[in-house]
Amino acid sequence: MQKLALRNLLRNKLRTTLTVASLMFALLLLSLLMAFLDLLGSTSGASDNRIIVRSAISLATLLPESYWRQVETLPHVAAVTPLNWFQGVYKDDRPENFFPRFAADPATVFKVYPELSISPQEQQAWAADRRGFVAGKALAVKYGWKVGDSIFIKGDIYPMDLDLVLRGIFTQPRNADQEKVIYFQRQYLEEGIGKRGLIGTYVLRIDSPASEVAVRKAAEAKFENSDFQVRAETEKAFQLSFAEMMGNVKLLFTAIGLAAVISIFFITANTMAMAARERTAEVGVLKTLGFGRGQLLRLVLGESLAVGVLGAALGCGLCAVLMPVVGALLAKMMPIFGTLRMSGGNWATGLSIGVAIGLLSGVGPALGAARLRIVDAVRRVA
Amino acid sequence: MSNVVEVRDVVKTYRRDDFLIKVLQGVNLQVAAGDFVALMGPSGSGKSTLLNLLAGIDRPTSGEVKVAGHDIGRLSESDLAIWRRRNIGFIFQFYNLIPVLTAFENVELPLTLTRLSRAQRKVKAETALAVVGLADRMDHYPRQLSGGQEQRVAIARAIVTDPTLLLADEPTGDLDAASAADVLDLLVELNRQFGKTIVMVTHDPRAAERALTMVHLEKGQLAAAA
Repeated sequence: MQKLALRNLLRNKLRTTLTVASLMFALLLLSLLMAFLDLLGSTSGASDNRIIVRSAISLATLLPESYWRQVETLPHVAAVTPLNWFQGVYKDDRPENFFPRFAADPATVFKVYPELSISPQEQQAWAADRRGFVAGKALAVKYGWKVGDSIFIKGDIYPMDLDLVLRGIFTQPRNADQEKVIYFQRQYLEEGIGKRGLIGTYVLRIDSPASEVAVRKAAEAKFENSDFQVRAETEKAFQLSFAEMMGNVKLLFTAIGLAAVISIFFITANTMAMAARERTAEVGVLKTLGFGRGQLLRLVLGESLAVGVLGAALGCGLCAVLMPVVGALLAKMMPIFGTLRMSGGNWATGLSIGVAIGLLSGVGPALGAARLRIVDAVRRVA
Repeated sequence: MSNVVEVRDVVKTYRRDDFLIKVLQGVNLQVAAGDFVALMGPSGSGKSTLLNLLAGIDRPTSGEVKVAGHDIGRLSESDLAIWRRRNIGFIFQFYNLIPVLTAFENVELPLTLTRLSRAQRKVKAETALAVVGLADRMDHYPRQLSGGQEQRVAIARAIVTDPTLLLADEPTGDLDAASAADVLDLLVELNRQFGKTIVMVTHDPRAAERALTMVHLEKGQLAAAA
């Protein structure tokens, strides 16, 4: 049976190759899109206890420093820290050397991110050094940084370079992503660019997730009639908004992926139907020899399943190989794409789709073969 | 001698659009074990239909078809498939070998439905191919064989399970004279030497002469027996 299914699969090599190839490319496209969506939807390290306050116009619009004390006095707010995204280039612009770099306030940043652990001595050493910075342990290990080491970061968004000295290493054992960040003094940034009192975002730690709606509404209401209106959102929503910045890209990606899968399903189903139709007489012969309905169902379904799984496996495999390359190319535009990888979930989804396409495209021809009357099948031969 | 085939009052009708076509009209037939019957008749006389009924690949509209002691009209589809694989060897006019399998694999195919081991299947398939004189062509694909050789492989496939009844539908109809003679010799040998009961549909009188019994069908009724 397996031998016959395999030989049938190889009977029309060109057709099988083209079907497998079309499945492979559809799954390649789908896996790439899924990885993009995963990346864009990633909210690793986001807390329900934190709210981000930023300009209602755009992230590129900075807020006055005077807002700091005002948001601090809102009900249910436990701590506030300002953060400015610096970006810049460390070593070179390869994606593996990209990590988030924030200008921060040494006195408050660890109050808003209490899950980050750092010794009081290192925290004080950072606060005392205008050029000092603190780094997550994962980054320090990756680059072999030790306290006292200097690093150089070339500015791109801001017209200044950073010449920093490591003053402390913080840890977050439960989330390695939060250890892939550095914080340096915002005072250093202000002096470097010659402008003071401009803040990218305020990060608020609130007393309970239940207060989130009230705090967001209060923050937005507070500055409703000012020159710099704000938008307040949860940390998770803020991270997801980066995806929204790319337009309705998620919907577009999902639509493209679904269209690819649906069209490939019809192509495969048509191929299987053609193959089954060509073998009507053989089905009649097999039935005459004593093959039962179940055996014929398995024979046809096995063939379509093999096509589906092979196409999906090749597509996912090719995607796994290509993804780092594609990620590296895209990272030149957006560094976040440097971490683009094929996840276990992507593999599972891709292979499941292959199995589903294989089974669904084969079920019609398989049922047709199983139900075929021998006399009708044999009559078509003669 | 006991009868392998007992057909009683069999009627077979087909519906074609609004027309009801009566192909067999009350046919009665007995075939004794070890007989070689040639079923003759003009086109449309119902001989292939009768053969299909004997093979259990079609069902009578009314009447009884008993083959190898089983009233096959009463068997379910799945029981009929099992019955066919044990009792019937079918030889088609156009050989109907599976083109992607070698001669050996084609002959082995019915055995894959049994509980025989791979080694046992090999012995049986090789023996069947040796009986039809094609032991040296086992690894050839159908496209690498002549028409006569293909039909002999089909005969090997039909006999490999040692069925109770061999049914042949115009087995020489697509062959040249020499190949047809070879195939008929083989069928005669299977009948005489191995005691196989054979029912062969043919409209070729020379082929029919090789059988032990001749049965004529005319317009769905048995005309005469010789």
